[in-house]
Amino acid sequence: MTFDRKIEDAGLTRGVSRLTPQRIEDTLRQVLEGETGAKLKLYAETCMRCGMCSEACHYYMSHDGDPSYSPAGKVHQTMGEILRKDCKVTPEFVYQMAQIAYTECNLCRRCVHYCPLGIDTGYIMSTVRRMCHKLGVTPQYIQDTAHSHAATMNQMWLKDDEWMDTLQWQEDEARDEMPNLRIPLDKEGAEIYYSVIAPEPKFRTQLIYQAAFIMNEAGVDFTMPTSPGWDNSDMCMFSGDFEMMGRLKKIHFESALDLKVKKIVMGECGHAFRSIYDQGNRWDGWDMYPIEVVHSVEFFWELFEAGKIKLREKFHEPITIHDPCNIIRGRGLMEQSRKLAHALCDNVVEMHPNLEHNYCCAAGGGVINCGPPFKNVRMKGNRIKAEQLKATGVKTILAPCHNCHGGLEDLVHYYELGMDIKFFGDLIYDLMEKPEVE
Amino acid sequence: MNSIYAFVVGPLAWIAWGVFIFGSLYKVVSMYQLAKAKDGSSLHYMSFKYGMRSILHWLNPVGTLGWQSNPYTALVTFVFHLCLVIVPLFLMGHVVLWDQFFGITWPTLPDTIADIMSIVFVACCVYFGLRRFLQRDVRFLTTGKDWIALAIPALTFLFGVLAYHQIGNDKVMLVLHILCGEIMLISIPFSRLSHMLFGFFTRAYMGSEFGGVRHSKDW
Amino acid sequence: MLKRVFTIAAVAACVFLYMIPAFCQDEISFLKDPAFVHPTRPAAVFAHDEHNEKAGIEDCAACHHVWEDGKLVEGESSEDEKCSSCHQIKPESGKTGLRNAYHKLCSNCHIEEDKGPVTCAGCHPNGGAAPSGH
Ligand code: HEM
Ligand code: HEM
Ligand code: SF4
Ligand code: SF4
Ligand code: SF4
Repeated sequence: MTFDRKIEDAGLTRGVSRLTPQRIEDTLRQVLEGETGAKLKLYAETCMRCGMCSEACHYYMSHDGDPSYSPAGKVHQTMGEILRKDCKVTPEFVYQMAQIAYTECNLCRRCVHYCPLGIDTGYIMSTVRRMCHKLGVTPQYIQDTAHSHAATMNQMWLKDDEWMDTLQWQEDEARDEMPNLRIPLDKEGAEIYYSVIAPEPKFRTQLIYQAAFIMNEAGVDFTMPTSPGWDNSDMCMFSGDFEMMGRLKKIHFESALDLKVKKIVMGECGHAFRSIYDQGNRWDGWDMYPIEVVHSVEFFWELFEAGKIKLREKFHEPITIHDPCNIIRGRGLMEQSRKLAHALCDNVVEMHPNLEHNYCCAAGGGVINCGPPFKNVRMKGNRIKAEQLKATGVKTILAPCHNCHGGLEDLVHYYELGMDIKFFGDLIYDLMEKPEVE
Repeated sequence: MNSIYAFVVGPLAWIAWGVFIFGSLYKVVSMYQLAKAKDGSSLHYMSFKYGMRSILHWLNPVGTLGWQSNPYTALVTFVFHLCLVIVPLFLMGHVVLWDQFFGITWPTLPDTIADIMSIVFVACCVYFGLRRFLQRDVRFLTTGKDWIALAIPALTFLFGVLAYHQIGNDKVMLVLHILCGEIMLISIPFSRLSHMLFGFFTRAYMGSEFGGVRHSKDW
Repeated sequence: MLKRVFTIAAVAACVFLYMIPAFCQDEISFLKDPAFVHPTRPAAVFAHDEHNEKAGIEDCAACHHVWEDGKLVEGESSEDEKCSSCHQIKPESGKTGLRNAYHKLCSNCHIEEDKGPVTCAGCHPNGGAAPSGH
């Protein structure tokens, strides 16, 4: 097996330079014996190597059927090799397996729809990442976000006062448009606790602005927390740092519980949602979240249904909608997302395949967070998505997920598709009736 | 030769069935124990309703994205497994032996139909073999274990067909057939063929996760 | 004791001699029992006299046995009857069916003696005989 696509990454290189064969063997064995059980064993034994899953994966499809990109092919080159070699692998191999697990699989689980035996490649790749994390071999950029999580409980090295400042700044800005607008901070007993991912205050403050505007206009009793826990994002889930993943979810839920709110509403993010219904909650020993959590897509639709958002006009141009894996395949919000899209837009053009079967954006699963060294992995690895987008013939894409946004934006530029990408929040804000301001 | 035959239909058959049954029980029980000890956060989500929902959808050869995307392989897979289960259970040659040894009988397939199914089965094996050899992605995944898993049932059926058609020495063919059949029984708990024991569980687990947690379909 | 064995043997011999013409009328080369209305395999090849000569079987009761109350009746034989007059196609529970009677009788002995056919094909060769009853 030759691996001819090694990409230089400072984090991986540094990590690998510290490895010894003994440390590799001990660590891998510790993860295998200590942290995995029947699930991994069964997957390893029951996978019939039939290759039915190959076509599920956008990487495989975009690389003209290169077998080393098929889901089972990636398992074969990583976990499969570890099991065959009984944990006796080289540092160079660890580099490869890290590169494959962190950057060539989005943990999107599209392959589940193809595997007759129900093998969860996403879980296997996640376990490989866990091994890499324990070996200290992680891509530099995503590790930086994980460090930030550990040091500040948010993903972007934001200090507590910067966060609070940002909220107040956005409140200020929005008051030009809606003089009575408020972003209530730490309001005990509020109906809704609105949480976002740290990149919002860092890069996309208009999203906070818009959300505040919509909730004020709809008369929602909401609050935003100022203490750590406000960031619902979770790169540790993807870097393999599950201990941190657990701490992040715990503090997020606890800050909401402390405020005695009724429920958490999350901004339009996919992976943060995954971490509360699928992975983080389990690490913390919760069957589901301890306080109700609702994704923006559901929340906005509830507001619409209740007649709390009124539109000035609908979006007339044809628009297509991307189904983010973590909220659609991961949490079944396709009905709400479609109802909302049709409520907002005259002409929704479906892309194919869609709904649960949609192709991933190739940014998810922490891949975009591995940073510039791996940007081309995402671009070359998702030609199929670009083709899928192009085939719709429209100029605007709705994508209710931050990662998807980033990923799709990069694809649109790389493949010169000339498309515009919007959140539901963008559309609602643009199209809703706004109060007159003198 | 008759004593060899007597040995393979007698003591060796007992051993094979014993290993198959107790080995399978051991495998399933120990796997369940391991799951209870280590996979609580997965086991907890097992749901009969969603598990069955998933199994039933996957039993429809055109009902899932995976089957639809690989129509030929889907067809061959279904035919292969149907023959694999039905022929040995309802083959007259087998029922006669059950009758002879234990005095029990049940309805059998007409020989001609069983024979056609067996030949079709061998053809399916050839298809799988060619696929393993010629299709890039499958070839990439194939290891010795996969060839073994394919060869054992293939040879069992092949020798069965040869014995039925009286090609080659009848005793040699039948003894080889029975030997392969017994190796197959013995290897079910301990090889890739163990997907017979676990396939429905992994399927049901995935169905439970997708139905119960992810609120979406896994097909 | 010896006397008794002798008389039984003498009786058996007489019966045997008496039966010879019956066999000779129609030399047996296949086991075509008309009780099998729709046999699936060609009738089993069985040249009666040749077989018994080769196998050195003198005692008819070796095959043509008599059972009563689940026990083999020593010294009685049943060569004047068809197998199917005792062994039914669909036997009552606990009784041996006709097909099984043939299979067990032949193959158990062949295995014990390590001689003769034991496989399906060994007895039912293709084109061996037209299935009976047609
Ligand atoms: C009864 C439960 C069983 C289920 C649900 C099941 C299911 C499957 C599935 C989903 C595949 C992969 C599909 C494919 O290759 O196209 C497969 C492949 C296979 N199965 Fe089974 N199977 C069962 C029993 C068995 C048994 C009893 C045997 C043999 C003893 C067997 C032998 C095989 C072999 C050899 C293959 C691999 C074909 C290849 O080389 O690609 N299966 N089975
Ligand atoms: C305990 C082990 C087994 C014994 C004693 C046994 C015995 C036999 C016998 C006596 C025949 C009849 C041959 C003839 O008709 O001339 C036969 C045929 C056959 N057996 Fe088995 N068998 C065994 C295991 C298996 C298994 C495990 C399978 C498949 C899963 C299998 C599949 C077949 C097939 C496909 C034929 C040929 C059918 C045909 O072409 O008509 N056997 N076997
Ligand atoms: S990227 Fe998605 S489809 Fe591809 S292997 Fe990973 S989970 Fe499966
Ligand atoms: S993961 Fe599933 S579909 Fe892919 S090779 Fe294994 S058994 Fe086949
Ligand atoms: S970023 Fe979006 S499409 Fe990509 S994995 Fe996440 S949810 Fe899926």
